[in-house]
Amino acid sequence: MKRVIIGMLLMLAAVAASAEVRVAATVPNMGMLARVIGGDAVDVTVMAPADRDAHYLEARPSMMAALRRADVVVAVGAELEVGWLPAALQGANNPRVQVGRTGYFEGAAHIELIEAGAAADRAGGDVHPAGNPHFYMDPQRMAEVGFALAERLGRLDSDNAERFLENAERFAAMADERVAAWLERAEDVPGAVLYHKDANYLTRLFDAPILGYLEPLPGIPPTARHLRGLVRDLDGRDGITLYTDFQPSRGADFLERELGWPSRQLPNQVSTTADDAEEYFEMIDRWVEALASVR
Amino acid sequence: MKLSQTIVGLMLISGLSVSPLFAGDATEADDSDLRMDQVLAQAETTPEAEQQRQAGPARDPLDPQPARMRAMQVGGGDQEVTSGTAFNPAISVILDGVYYNEFSGHVEDAPGFDFGHDHGHGGHGHGLESGFQIREAELSFSGTVDPYFDMFVMAALFENGVELEEAYVTTRSLPAGLQIKAGRFLSDVGYINKQHIHDWQFVDAPWVIDNLFGEEGLRENGIQLTWMPATRSYTRFGLELLHGESEGVANYVGDGRHEMVTVLPRHVVDPNVGPDDPGAEEPVRNRWRDDKGLHQTSSPRLITAFAKWAPNLGYDHALQLGVFGGVSDAHQMEETHSSGRLETWDGDAKFYGFDLVYKYDGGGIHGHRSFQFQTEYIRREMNLHYQSRQFTDFGTLEPTTRNPDGDVVDQEWVQDGIYAQAVYGFAPRWNMGLRVDALGLTNDAYEDQPDGRGLPVSLGSSKRFALQTTYAPTEFSRIRAQLNYNDFAHHDDEAWEFMLQYNISLGVHGAHAF
Repeated sequence: MKRVIIGMLLMLAAVAASAEVRVAATVPNMGMLARVIGGDAVDVTVMAPADRDAHYLEARPSMMAALRRADVVVAVGAELEVGWLPAALQGANNPRVQVGRTGYFEGAAHIELIEAGAAADRAGGDVHPAGNPHFYMDPQRMAEVGFALAERLGRLDSDNAERFLENAERFAAMADERVAAWLERAEDVPGAVLYHKDANYLTRLFDAPILGYLEPLPGIPPTARHLRGLVRDLDGRDGITLYTDFQPSRGADFLERELGWPSRQLPNQVSTTADDAEEYFEMIDRWVEALASVR
Repeated sequence: MKLSQTIVGLMLISGLSVSPLFAGDATEADDSDLRMDQVLAQAETTPEAEQQRQAGPARDPLDPQPARMRAMQVGGGDQEVTSGTAFNPAISVILDGVYYNEFSGHVEDAPGFDFGHDHGHGGHGHGLESGFQIREAELSFSGTVDPYFDMFVMAALFENGVELEEAYVTTRSLPAGLQIKAGRFLSDVGYINKQHIHDWQFVDAPWVIDNLFGEEGLRENGIQLTWMPATRSYTRFGLELLHGESEGVANYVGDGRHEMVTVLPRHVVDPNVGPDDPGAEEPVRNRWRDDKGLHQTSSPRLITAFAKWAPNLGYDHALQLGVFGGVSDAHQMEETHSSGRLETWDGDAKFYGFDLVYKYDGGGIHGHRSFQFQTEYIRREMNLHYQSRQFTDFGTLEPTTRNPDGDVVDQEWVQDGIYAQAVYGFAPRWNMGLRVDALGLTNDAYEDQPDGRGLPVSLGSSKRFALQTTYAPTEFSRIRAQLNYNDFAHHDDEAWEFMLQYNISLGVHGAHAF
């Protein structure tokens, strides 16, 4: 009995001693960024898996448990997680991470979003009037968010504030270096058809044209009529079809058959355990490589 | 082209070089101006501009100062990016329309569960009428009041009126994992009770909710306290102090007068004429009244408690287990007959049960390959003093004497019910579900019989099987067809029902709670 009590006290002491900032990241890319910026001063839990569309998840008890324990939630924002994060936050009974508090961090709030200002009319599909939320496909915007996150983490753990900024700087330098190399590789590429508007930040970086979307409207699965229209418009042109690992291959296969275009199914999130920038840059690298694979 | 890139590069450099001026007291406007410059530069970037940028003093990786300035500038706000407009609550309108058809047999109350259903309480239940109908249009408003409260209001509009479905505030800033909800709300006991029609995976509610809690479920005015310890797995405890007006477990009537007015003819002889007068029939109005004698008690009359636990099973699986219970110190009912006879039940009630929900995310788009199983069991016990009384004179109610053993009785009702349902996404946007209801597995009830209503009967259980198919073009619209087969406890009572439902949401994309 005595041993049990001592054991429990030790465990409690261990919990108290781990002064790490507890981060609940919404998607793996944000979890990666938090780990890269925070290093061993943060303990990151990723709430959404890598191979799911973060837009269509629902609030689950495990998310609320993660948010309950978190010192800060690190989200993509711009309503990407609107289907579940508000409900999970309300069910988390944790004032620290509510919107407006230091513990609520939304990457989209710290950068300029593209495609902002679309009419808030769902006749256009699942539109995001606040702007395209998939900024994590742009390493330099990620770096900007990294600085903001470093500043935020520094407010929660002032002893490590300097370190967080150094890490953000290192990440930004890596991003710049990579982007410079990619720009050379992906010069004058013919462009791509995407499934959804989720790689627009990346194609913009390279001035690569987006030749079309497999979805007729955001959030509406591809229809035969729409795909036939795409084929008609793109006949005789070169390009590649890019889609993510949670999007179905049917549309890409159709374009491959009809136009002879190659297609590539790629992840757009790192793994949930990713803790260095390398994995993230490799993920982006696969997209760049695919874009540059057609000339 | 070359010139414009140079200009962009210069803009960037100038933006950063003036930024130290704002470092101390950067206002929001300065902040956004600076960011705009950077972003413009970044968005328009090309290899040449990029090299220039990197070569310039502003982006020298060895010089941390500009980077730090940047972080101070851009990290300053706590704001969120949203399309919700300034200070307006999020608004949504959800329309629920149903076509209903009983095409064989007749749907009735399950034997032992006919209280409250056939007396037209007014208000709104989820009962369906034959043919086309708008079941309701739900109008909901939600938002953050101030740093301390969130608020949610939902009104249901019907053809004949409006009902306040829910209106409550929840706290946002209590410490230690505590949260208080106050107002009018759906109790968090079990799983499906707190869901609105548009969250259901079938057109109608499970029998246990309808029959044990009442047609509207457990919807009460009151206050709820929940506590979530900071554990790795989800754990939530709750306590609710409720007014007590749910017809199935806390139907409060309170004391009052039972009144009856009779107008009877009386033979009157005119004294002036004397005994030779043949007399005349004159109406005589009499008022009979007496106290019902139901016990009075003050709110809160219903107290409930629940606990929920969900282990961490990874990203693909989610399981939640719950137990709950409630006690009411006033559960009363009355039924008046045209003869003036009054039947009353007066006592208390309690209920308890468990719920289990399992969800599997198969990774397909639009719900494809996802699976959900849920089941709930509820048992209700009522201790009710039953009296069948009628007037013996104008001011006294006395027990009837149809059956001396059955007219004034202490009744102990014990009834339960369970449902289980499974739904599978067999294609993108499509799902199909099967639900089985069983009501009165234990059914110790008291029925109206020729020799009195006070005598106990042990009734059998009724069963219902439901099969539904749903097509959801987007997360905002849904069309559903459902077929029900009812097998009532009474011999040979069977009924088939067919339903078509459309459920359409307009407005802000509401987050779905688990």
